[in-house]
Amino acid sequence: MRKALPSVLSVVSAIILCFFAAALTRDFGTAVDAFLAMWWGAFGDWPKFFETGSAATILRPLGEAGTKAAILTFTGLSVAVAFRVGLFNIGAQGQLVVGALAAAVVGAKVNAPGFVHVTLCLAAAAAAGGLYALIPAVLKLKRGVHEVISTIMLNWVAISLVDNWLVIGPLKATASGDNSISGTDQILPSAELPRLLGETSRLNFGLVLALFAALGTWLFLTRFTRGFEWKAIGLSQDAARAAGIDVDRGFLEAMVLAGAFAGLGGAVLILGTELKYPATLGAPWGFDGIAMALIGQGHPLGVLAISTLFGGLRAGGTRMQLFGVHKSFPELIQGLALLLVAAKLLWERLLRKRGTP
Amino acid sequence: MIELRHITKRCGTTLALDDVSLDVRPGERLALIGENGAGKSSLMNVLYGLYQPDAGEVCFDGRAVKVKTPAEALVRGVGMVHQHFTLVPTLTVTENVVLGHEPTKGGRLDLARARREVDATCAKFGFQLDTGAVVRELSVGSQQKVEIVKALHRGVKTLILDEPTAVLTPQEADELFAVTRRLSDEGMAVVLISHKLREVLSFATRIAVLRRGKKVGERTPAETTEDELARLMISGDVPLSPQRGEDRGEGPKPIRLSLTNLSAPGLTNVSLDVRAGEILGIAGVDGNGQRELAEVVTGLRPWTSGTFTLDGRALTTWNPRLAHQSGLAHIPEDRLRRALISDLTVEENVSLGRHQSAPFAKGPFIDFTQRRTITTALLEANDVRPREPELRAGGLSGGNQQKLVVGRELDAKPKLLVVVQPTRGLDIAAVAAVREKLFAERQRGCAVLLVSLDLDEVLELSDRVLVMYAGSISGEFQKGEFDERVIGRRMLGVKDA
Amino acid sequence: MILALINSILDAAPPLVFAALGATLSERAGVVNVGIEGMMRAGAFAAAVAALVMPTPLGVLVGMAAGAAVAGLHGWLTIRLRSDQVVSGMAINLVMLALGTFLLEAVFNSPSSTPAITQLPLWFGHSPLTWLAIVLPFIVHYAIRSTPWGLRLRAVGEKPQAVAAMGVRVAPLRFGAVLLSGALAGLGGAALSTATLDRFEHHMPSGLGFMAVAAMVFGRWTPLGAAGAAAFFAFGNALRIGLASSAPGLLEVVPKGVLLALPYALTLVVLSVQGAKNVAPAALGQPYDPELR
Repeated sequence: MRKALPSVLSVVSAIILCFFAAALTRDFGTAVDAFLAMWWGAFGDWPKFFETGSAATILRPLGEAGTKAAILTFTGLSVAVAFRVGLFNIGAQGQLVVGALAAAVVGAKVNAPGFVHVTLCLAAAAAAGGLYALIPAVLKLKRGVHEVISTIMLNWVAISLVDNWLVIGPLKATASGDNSISGTDQILPSAELPRLLGETSRLNFGLVLALFAALGTWLFLTRFTRGFEWKAIGLSQDAARAAGIDVDRGFLEAMVLAGAFAGLGGAVLILGTELKYPATLGAPWGFDGIAMALIGQGHPLGVLAISTLFGGLRAGGTRMQLFGVHKSFPELIQGLALLLVAAKLLWERLLRKRGTP
Repeated sequence: MIELRHITKRCGTTLALDDVSLDVRPGERLALIGENGAGKSSLMNVLYGLYQPDAGEVCFDGRAVKVKTPAEALVRGVGMVHQHFTLVPTLTVTENVVLGHEPTKGGRLDLARARREVDATCAKFGFQLDTGAVVRELSVGSQQKVEIVKALHRGVKTLILDEPTAVLTPQEADELFAVTRRLSDEGMAVVLISHKLREVLSFATRIAVLRRGKKVGERTPAETTEDELARLMISGDVPLSPQRGEDRGEGPKPIRLSLTNLSAPGLTNVSLDVRAGEILGIAGVDGNGQRELAEVVTGLRPWTSGTFTLDGRALTTWNPRLAHQSGLAHIPEDRLRRALISDLTVEENVSLGRHQSAPFAKGPFIDFTQRRTITTALLEANDVRPREPELRAGGLSGGNQQKLVVGRELDAKPKLLVVVQPTRGLDIAAVAAVREKLFAERQRGCAVLLVSLDLDEVLELSDRVLVMYAGSISGEFQKGEFDERVIGRRMLGVKDA
Repeated sequence: MILALINSILDAAPPLVFAALGATLSERAGVVNVGIEGMMRAGAFAAAVAALVMPTPLGVLVGMAAGAAVAGLHGWLTIRLRSDQVVSGMAINLVMLALGTFLLEAVFNSPSSTPAITQLPLWFGHSPLTWLAIVLPFIVHYAIRSTPWGLRLRAVGEKPQAVAAMGVRVAPLRFGAVLLSGALAGLGGAALSTATLDRFEHHMPSGLGFMAVAAMVFGRWTPLGAAGAAAFFAFGNALRIGLASSAPGLLEVVPKGVLLALPYALTLVVLSVQGAKNVAPAALGQPYDPELR
């Protein structure tokens, strides 16, 4: 648990620092109101609940938080898994995009009973993301192209091709003759992820999937021999190779899993919230995933926890506008926490180094 | 005249130097000896400005001076040639020598003038060097000369050499000592840091012995012997040289490994046999294919032609995993890069290499209990301290890390053992322990392939020695026929009649 | 048509060329800098905003300063604290991404761009920054080849221990290179928002920073190589912009999305074909630890 300290301290410090920034640019009172608004918007509007007794005041914000947390968890896991073998998967955004598109298409065009349909959509998304991640992996192994550059280029390729061609062209919604609808066709009801709390909130099964993904990843990395091999590869390729570990295969497997996770994040976005591939995806979930993974120090459960927190903060962010603070304020907190983690990890290491003779 | 007075230096919780006083006199050849960790390099690093002493002072001609950086040391006429060269491989000799105080003409680098000046320095001290050559194309011996010229070019009066002969052939070592004699004759002071007692006795005019951070004695070569020096160095009984063990004389032993006309990147037409119960030593100057040979045998490097035969079966595929399964153990030279993963725990490291199967694995899962049991037993059997399976491997001392690696590899009861530079950086006791284990393996019937840059070690441990030069075998010698001069020539690729 | 193409390359190249030169300086000194994208973004934003209240040339300088400031953070994290250099760079990119969006919306109430500024007056038909982009690579080349500083820079990226042993301090040398790389990246960003366009757009620099890093790799970590590669990649960008305006008929055949993807795909193809001929500076990516020998 000591290892979690840098993450926790960084997030707390970031929140405090951003609070002071807000207080300085507006005024103390407004800052308090805005932050509280964000908090209630994230984790339930408890004051209103005690006032009105309506469950919706708690459940709706929690639902928003949960939906965002699910997607962030998936993209965070995507980056974290690749990190384990020492690879930087900056391509989570592109992998999410292709996964989302796959889910949207299978969701709209295929006919199958509910459970099967959802499974097919998820599988398509995972496959799409996984295959898309295979490209930079192969390029690295066969041609030595650094994955940071290749995944970023592929992000832009995916976004350009999907957002600016496929979704406005061949895959554009045709169901109604109305040309003012943007994005792809709406997915069939059988493909939608079931709502967990009925109609009161948008919380959907995606959160459960994310939970299982995080737990499963953690178990794999800590209890399976294969997971141990990935850890070894990430720490020292030379030693791993000498120990008989197939490093190349480890790279490929980890990247494919990473891509699959990002693709699933896209699927959750489509099947749970958007219900089609929209004209714009909104938040840069893939890049946020990088932040989740780094702040969570690459630990699957850490990623889950951080994603839950920031999912909440993001959901609550919209309420800050009422107080003149811009709704993308949580992104600032996120960024600052990230910088602090990068610095803090090093404080730790420096302190530890001085301790040993 | 340099005086180091009452120098004390702490590194973490240990005292690297404990109230050490030493003079360095002009025109002398001073040898500084001691075990690994005794403080010899630390003391000279204080003089050279790389370390700041916690107490004590450095005096030049009677005046106390603070030497805060190597730049200041150079200004005061002190130069140091380190064990690991500090040369930029992609730059030329001239560029390396003038780095930091480059001659300029109107802001622009004046390389022509630099070259003239460096050539002049080389001529003055009798060094033959192509100052326009790029450093990475020079031989190790020449690179060392560049390091020395770097110091001389700055006009140093005191030259410190840190374990210079570790990477030289016997002839190159002779050349080096001739150079140092010339320098001291001209009034320079030369300090040699070494642990090789024989060469120290022939080189030095005065010898200072350090032990655990304290100076325990000064001698002149005339009044002492190797034995006395060794005893001073370790304050106890010198461990007896490990016994080779009798040859049981059962006739020629079976060949475990056989390479025939094997070529690979870095190796040309190598043929050799390693038999059970023998130690085959590979000698050679660094960079002549020994590393590549070890990599091929352990499966880290593919071969392009020739045959690789293990226990009579010619192999077509070979990788570290197959190697481990076939009973090969590997003690690599760079334990922190190849053998151990510093950020993993001791027990995780123990499982490396055998982690995929029982007893370390139960199906696809890690068998934590078995892993712990085996580790605890291993730590005990090999006297690894501290006995903590969950400690980060990087936290162990070098000696204990090596004991861990050796213990782990031998625990698998290998049939073929490949060892590269097994005793580098270890103190006398640890060295003796490792060598004893090698002899024990030999006795057990294991075939041992020993690669070492320390010629003395190769000659002492091996039953047979092969010399490598430029990727091929340039000579073969049986125990009893070891002639250092001839071997030295083979190391340089000279084929006599 | 060819002339039009050359002109559009000349207009599209400066941001990439400046950024690529910046990346080269930092990495030649041994410090990986994938934060170029974030530094460009900072420079683009700062320049576009500054140019609203002061003459545009000064705005460009402000952009350079912004880039250098961000680089200072990267340098502190990687040199003083010995952080992982890629992590630091990516963290900076993410922070600049968020900060840019936030400031754009909070200060200008626009999700897409800042107000327009007056661009720099054209010299011979092109922005002065274009002419600078032609001259600067040669100046940097000369500095690295023929000055003492350049020699030390090359040395510190290959073997910092050698530099330290000669009495030259590694940290200030590297830090200086990183600051310069930030200033150049900032200049590249400023070029985007004051020359190529006349405002800061919410996506800027849209991956150009990474393209600049790719240009550096393709150009084998030399200033002339990196600048040449950057010009080549700019060709891809120019093609996109130029074709869209000069050959509108093309859009009937090739979808806009494909054209948009073109420069990125081209970069990827080029790097893949080049293969792993690794001539990166030997000490690149390794934090310098004076205690380790």
